[in-house]
Order: sequence, then C-alpha cells, then structure tokens
Amino acid sequence: MVPITHFLYLAILLFLIGVGGVLLRRNALFVLMSIELMLNAANVALVAFSRLHGNHDGQVFAFFVIAVAAAEAAVGLAIIVAIFRSRDDVDIDDLGLLRD
Amino acid sequence: MTGAELSFYLFGGLAVFSALAMVTRKNAVVAAMWLIATFLSVAACYVLAQATFLSAIQVIVYAGAVMVLFVFVIMVVDVDATGRLTHRRPSRVGRLAYYGGFLLSAGFLAWVLVGTLARQYVTFGAELEPGSDFGTARGLGREIFTDYVFPFEAVSLLLVAAVIGAVVVARSRKEREHAARHLADPAARHAAGLGTAAEGEIAPPGPSPATDFGEPSATGHRGI
Repeated sequence: MVPITHFLYLAILLFLIGVGGVLLRRNALFVLMSIELMLNAANVALVAFSRLHGNHDGQVFAFFVIAVAAAEAAVGLAIIVAIFRSRDDVDIDDLGLLRD
Repeated sequence: MTGAELSFYLFGGLAVFSALAMVTRKNAVVAAMWLIATFLSVAACYVLAQATFLSAIQVIVYAGAVMVLFVFVIMVVDVDATGRLTHRRPSRVGRLAYYGGFLLSAGFLAWVLVGTLARQYVTFGAELEPGSDFGTARGLGREIFTDYVFPFEAVSLLLVAAVIGAVVVARSRKEREHAARHLADPAARHAAGLGTAAEGEIAPPGPSPATDFGEPSATGHRGI
C-alpha cells in the first residue's frame, strides 16, 4: 500500500513545476498549461486526503476542480485567441496595456 | 515492494518527468503532448488511491477535452515552432521576473523538501472493507447528488457561463459588427464591443477601432 505522504510529495513536485512554468515562461499558452498542471497537483492532494480519511469529500472537490479547470481553460484560451487577433503574438511581457 | 507501490513510483516519476519536459519545451504542440502524458500518469496514480471514477474523468475531461481545446488554439495562435519569442532580449521587467521567479521557485522547492523530507512521515489511509463502493461512480454519485447537489448545480451554471463567455470573447470583430449592424443606439453598440458611432458616422477619437486593445502598439504589432 502506497503511503499517503508519497502522494503528497507527488502533488508538491507537480505544483512546483507548474509554479516554475507560470513564473518563467512568457508564452501565454505555456502559462495556461502550467496552471492546468497546478490544478492537477491540487487534485492529487485532494484525492490523497480522500483516501486518508476513507470518505468521498476530497474526490467530490477534485471533481469540481476539474469542472472549474475546464471552464477556466475555455475562457483563458478564448482570451488568448482575442489577444492574438489584435496583436499577432501572445508574449505576456508585451501585454502591459493596463499598466501603461 | 508490492506491485501497487512499484506502479505508483513508476507513474509518479513519469508524471514528474513529463511535467518537467512540458515546461521546458519550446514547441507548444510538443509541450501539449507532454502535458497529456502527465495527465495520464496522474490518472494512473488516482487508480492507486482507489479513485477509479475520478481517474476516468481525468482521462476523458483533461487528457481528452481540455487538451484538444489547447491543441486547437495552438493551431490558431502558435504557428512559429522555432521559439522565435525566446531569442529576443527580454525587457528589464522581464529579466527581473525571470530571476525573481527562478529564485522563488528554487526557494519554495528547498523549503518544502527540507521541511517534509527532514521528518519522514509515513501515513497510510483508512481501512476500506473489500467490496465497498469507495471511489466508484456509484459512491461518488451518491455523494454529489445528496450533500453536494447545490455546488453541483452551481458548477453546471458556471460551465454554461464559461462557454457563452468564451464564444463572446473569441468572436472576430467582423462577426460582432454583423450581429450589431441594426443597432443605432450608441450604448447598445458599446455593449456589443464596438465603437459608439452608428454606420455612416465618423468614429470618435479614442481607442483605435482596428483593435480591441487600444492603439496598435509602437513596437510594430499590427491590429487586425
């Protein structure tokens, strides 16, 4: 039987890789993919805690997280398409309109 | 080491490896394929935590639907496979974000790993009697449609809102103009994301009507 702790290590590693992707990549597509990875890492932790307690609550939350992640991907990708239409690339460093 | 443990470390290692490969790729399509590999490995880990229904959902929704959406958008957006953007010298803010982000990630990693690996907790889960419906569609469905029925309905509302929002945001200007051609009321045209001037009038000064993001920037982006 796999200890719950090792599921949490897996979640931590995946989350940190996602954080690194969000902070270091400048292509908005990579940023969105890294966010999906971070949400998945949170799901791993929720599933592990669900197994730890032997009830379904964590899995139900993971289910909702998957639904919200799908909605987030749809809206985020639509925004990327809209930005690409007007600017021709999706480099997040160039998107300073609200700052300027 | 039992078979379950062996497959957990195999698929967990595979998930971490493909996640690392995903963030380091230049080509967005290759990165998307590595992300699918990560999602499939995580689905295998779900099975080992007795979350069989969630594992199926992970494969269908994440590795299937969401990633197909990503690949479609990559097809539209990222035609350049050579990583042209990375060759340009980053701005001062960009460089700062680079090094700051790298330090922050490294610090996080060191902090978490030192904090957890220093004390080896080994926690096993609750005992489940064989034949229980833990993690199956039956068990999870009973939970969702009794205790969590309101959050479930709220999520369905959220999905509808997200789909409508995505369609509205991603529509092209031409489509929006076509839909709003009969609108003379400036407020209604503004609500449709167009200029407030009706057809035949001179557009008021202000953000360039060519783009939805203000004037085409001085760095040479052309508005479409």
